[in-house]
Amino acid sequence: MSQIFHPKHDGMLRAVFLAVPVGLAGVAALLYFWNQPDHIREVGKAHVQPVPFSHQHHVSGLGIDCRYCHTSVEESPFAGIPPTHTCMSCHSQIWADSEMLEPVRASYFENRPIAWKRVHDLPDFVQFKHNVHVNAGVSCIECHGEVSEMPLVWQEERLSMGWCLDCHREPGGRVGPERYVVPKNLTVRLEEGPDAERETWKSIGDYPVATVAAEFENYELINRIHSDDAESTDGRLFQLTNCSICHY
Amino acid sequence: MQPRRDNPKPEPVWRSLEELYGDERLREVTEQEFPRFAELWPDGASRRQFLKVMGAGLAMMGLAACHPPREAEDIVPYVEMPENVVPGNPLHFASALRDRGFAMPIVAESHEGRPTKIEGNADHPLTRGGTTPQMQASILTLYDPDRSREVTHGGRLVNPLAFQSAMRQLGEASRKRGGRGLHILTEVVTSPTLARQIESFLSERPEAQWHVWEPRNRDNALRGAMQTFGRHLEPHYDISRARAVVCLDADLFGEGPAALRHVRDYALARREAFEKRDRPLPQVFAAEPTPTLTGAKAARRVAAGPREVERLAFALAGRLDLEVSAPREDLPRDQEALLRAASAALQAAGPQGLVVAGESQPPAIHALAHALNERLGAFGETVRFTEPIEAHPVDHGESLRVLAEALHAGEVDQLVILGANPVACGPADLELAAAIKKANVSIHHGLFLDETARLCDWHIPATHELEEWSDVRAADGTASIIQPLIAPLWGALSAHELLRWLSSPPLDQQATSALDLVRETWAEAAGEGDFRTFWRTSLHDGYIRGSEAPSIQPPRIDRRALRELAPPRPDAASLTLLFRPDPSLGDGRWANNAWLQELPKPFTKLTWGNAALISPHLALQMGIKDGDEILIRAGDGEITQPVFTLPGQAAHCVTLWTGHGRQAAGRVAEDIGWAVEPLRTAADWHALAGVTLRRTQKHIELATTQNHFLMEDRHLVRSVSAEHPSAHISHGVHGGNLLPKMLTDDPDSYQWAMTIDLEACVGCNACVVACQAENNIPTVGRREVLRGREMHWIRIDRYWKGDESNPKMYFQPVPCMHCEKAPCEIVCPVAATTHSYEGLNEMTYNRCVGTRYCSNNCPYKVRRFNFLDYTGGAAPSEQLQRNPSVTVRMRGVMEKCTYCVQRINRARNDAQMDGRRIRDGELKTACQASCPAEAITFGDLHTEGSAVRRQKESPRNYGILEHLNTQPRTTYLAVVDADEGGSKH
Repeated sequence: MSQIFHPKHDGMLRAVFLAVPVGLAGVAALLYFWNQPDHIREVGKAHVQPVPFSHQHHVSGLGIDCRYCHTSVEESPFAGIPPTHTCMSCHSQIWADSEMLEPVRASYFENRPIAWKRVHDLPDFVQFKHNVHVNAGVSCIECHGEVSEMPLVWQEERLSMGWCLDCHREPGGRVGPERYVVPKNLTVRLEEGPDAERETWKSIGDYPVATVAAEFENYELINRIHSDDAESTDGRLFQLTNCSICHY
Repeated sequence: MQPRRDNPKPEPVWRSLEELYGDERLREVTEQEFPRFAELWPDGASRRQFLKVMGAGLAMMGLAACHPPREAEDIVPYVEMPENVVPGNPLHFASALRDRGFAMPIVAESHEGRPTKIEGNADHPLTRGGTTPQMQASILTLYDPDRSREVTHGGRLVNPLAFQSAMRQLGEASRKRGGRGLHILTEVVTSPTLARQIESFLSERPEAQWHVWEPRNRDNALRGAMQTFGRHLEPHYDISRARAVVCLDADLFGEGPAALRHVRDYALARREAFEKRDRPLPQVFAAEPTPTLTGAKAARRVAAGPREVERLAFALAGRLDLEVSAPREDLPRDQEALLRAASAALQAAGPQGLVVAGESQPPAIHALAHALNERLGAFGETVRFTEPIEAHPVDHGESLRVLAEALHAGEVDQLVILGANPVACGPADLELAAAIKKANVSIHHGLFLDETARLCDWHIPATHELEEWSDVRAADGTASIIQPLIAPLWGALSAHELLRWLSSPPLDQQATSALDLVRETWAEAAGEGDFRTFWRTSLHDGYIRGSEAPSIQPPRIDRRALRELAPPRPDAASLTLLFRPDPSLGDGRWANNAWLQELPKPFTKLTWGNAALISPHLALQMGIKDGDEILIRAGDGEITQPVFTLPGQAAHCVTLWTGHGRQAAGRVAEDIGWAVEPLRTAADWHALAGVTLRRTQKHIELATTQNHFLMEDRHLVRSVSAEHPSAHISHGVHGGNLLPKMLTDDPDSYQWAMTIDLEACVGCNACVVACQAENNIPTVGRREVLRGREMHWIRIDRYWKGDESNPKMYFQPVPCMHCEKAPCEIVCPVAATTHSYEGLNEMTYNRCVGTRYCSNNCPYKVRRFNFLDYTGGAAPSEQLQRNPSVTVRMRGVMEKCTYCVQRINRARNDAQMDGRRIRDGELKTACQASCPAEAITFGDLHTEGSAVRRQKESPRNYGILEHLNTQPRTTYLAVVDADEGGSKH
């Protein structure tokens, strides 16, 4: 009876021994990276919108405050997407014939809303509240990135639970006077005092902006809760990581 | 099932007869580890097969995570932002719903134009914020996909223009004939605008007739008032002033348009009397054939047939020195005892006494009750009279009979039905189904294409109260403007608009909207002042100030007339059928509402269907048990029903619930329940004597929840009395904590807690539906309820105590206890249920993997598991009802009461942004807000002087299953027993 295994099978066996773990590791790595929030949530990918609205142009170029359009960001969980009327308040006068703005005019005159694509989409079991964060002094940039530099908006941060918790565990550096609810390049430092701020605002655009100082009345409290030197056992800090703060 | 009297305890507390009798089957079910799998567990599965299935499950688990990246969701902003809308923040509007034609004042919550939740209007002078289950569930009816959607003529769709011109032509034709042959049938109308419209419509058509039909009518009360005062006067009871109330088969707390007020007055009066100890506790004495919410709260109650109640009324009149012919025969011993106690209490109370006759009692008893109240001096004290609140107060039975006669005689040219459904809910002997077809033209206006609509030529879909402008009066006459929160979902019209077209308006008036009509009505009523202010104030408040009906002095009662009344002779052992509206579905108008179908009814805990309620005595006599089908024969008619043995039911009375087994109610109600209407005739509308029952061979499994989530006999319901005011029981366990302290020392933190006052709770179920609406709780259907899988986060346990023929009854709402040492938390392998800093026992749905260990370890059995995908099948319109602040749960996830954490978080955030603490009373849970008796108190234990803290300091405060050292945050306030030494059972 002849040998079943030829010496060359040794090599094949060794190759198999090598290939199996390498292959498994490869699959595992693929799955790992495929499932990263960055990939799933398409971080960094600009979405095509029905109208190619440029935040860069409107914010950096023209100096429009975020809250001019996202009106409810300070008072509601939802920041608000501007009604067509807001667009038309300028664009009935300027660029009134622009082809690019045809969908806006159509929406306005046909009373048909524009369906924008959602860029920042949290899972439905998360209850995120813009008003609480903004009033606690978390700047827009902290989560949305420098939208003022984005021609079309993309998601800058991962917005994963771990990412949220980073801040909820140690919010110290992220809230407070030095970061502000408007884009960084427009931010006026609070140390300069409310009057100076208003002056700067005036120079940026001539529309009235809610008095900045009033929003910071709670600052002392917030800082006490959130400051770095608070003990890590501080109850209210602990509370920020309670499940029912976001999930209910 | 036979009574086994070997229970050593003198007065056992039990949830069902099975428990009282020590039924073996119940023991088996209770001892099972997974009763909810009882009928599903594959007994025959081999070990090999088990491993195969488990292996395949494990292998495929990973696949569940694989899905392509989602399409980006759309965000659709407004074109023009409506005034006052802040996207993401709800708005609240005061309005009113109609129940039997009367106003049920509400404040409706609206999210971006989508009403999602109904609350009571706390400012309304009558109800003060209470709600009924039907008010809470009304929001689901608004979004019911089975509502009719199109105007049809002969079953064909009609376009709006054709419809308008057809209506105008019909109106023109009837005017030319002076209204001859024109009949309008409405439900109870209290709307000043609708009444004004109908009157002006009729004034141009003088020979036309206006009929009114409401199955839960008040004909006997009307006839009683006519008999007593010679005219129709409407009595209003003030329970807050009463010290002794005698109810003669009257359900003050459960029936009638003022029930919410009665519940509130009684609960607050009892609480105040117990706390201040300066006056005796107000007491209720009830004689009734079938348990009612009022009977359950009564200090003394007797189960007596309707004729016996009548005899009791005569005997009571005799005791209070009214010259009536007292019954010759002696009363049974229990009735005699009640009579003695009630007459003594009434005499002691004098003007603060009150006698109330129920609607199912004949007019003579109503007349007696009026005479008794006058005798006591109660007029102007506990009872006041007004002119009728109804716009057209007629005898409904008579009114419908006249219509039926005209129809049968072929005298009806045009029949206009506004809302009523007499074919399904009317007397069977009038044969309305055949009659309606004899009308030349028939027009039906209603929410559904129901039994009546199907027989009419025209059907016009009606608007829901949340879709229309209208007005309506509450039981005390206070008017409310009904304002729309949403445009009609499916091209429906309000009755005002239909009547406008029918009255064939000249061209310039065709555009008059319902809003214009309502404003016109009130422009006259508002008088001199600034109408704009009046209108805005009325809309804002939800009621019109000072519109309450003024009291009038009733004429003196001619007592000689009473002498002619005679008590009925005792009818021996013949059986009496009692027709009662279903506690949830009423006359059947709520049949297509899944929340109400699945709502366990107060005493039977039946869901999805009805049953003939029989006494334990009769069950024993006939040898039948729950679910056995019986054939009920009366005259020519016969129906079948499954039976349910109800403790406290009068021995020879069988209660049948109306509103079930409807033919054309909608998809939810399809094949649910057994109709009783075929036996109901105009003459015997409330009760029918001399019937025979025969057992058939069929057995029907009843979906009752009374044995679900048993905690068994462990001092769950306790009572106290003035002599023994403490509900505390020493369990011999450590008072203090054995475990390390949680982070609850921080005095600045909120610590949430709840108390539930069992003395105040009347078991009305409003909280159960309110919770369902607020928290997106799905319904599961009959089959799943049979498996014990109902999802209600708050359940109301009903306990009986004592002898099953007339036991005492207790209600105990059980939400999550939010234990500080929660047994559920320590067994969760994935930390999906955890403890929050504020003392909440949190449930994190996205973490839950569905092991159900927590539910197994919960001694209170308050956790609910999504065994199947209960939410996925909701129609698009039903999804509009969902509360956007609460996650909709999927299959395989555990859920439970959260203390309405979405409301807590919103309140905390609002307070934080204002730089203050949450004020006591600012935050209410859904159950608390819905309760007409203010039985539920919720708040922060760290707030000095908070309501919940005061309640927790009461000697009546106790926790259930405390000996397990769970330290529940939800505690109970014991029942106050007036005539007993207090007991802890």
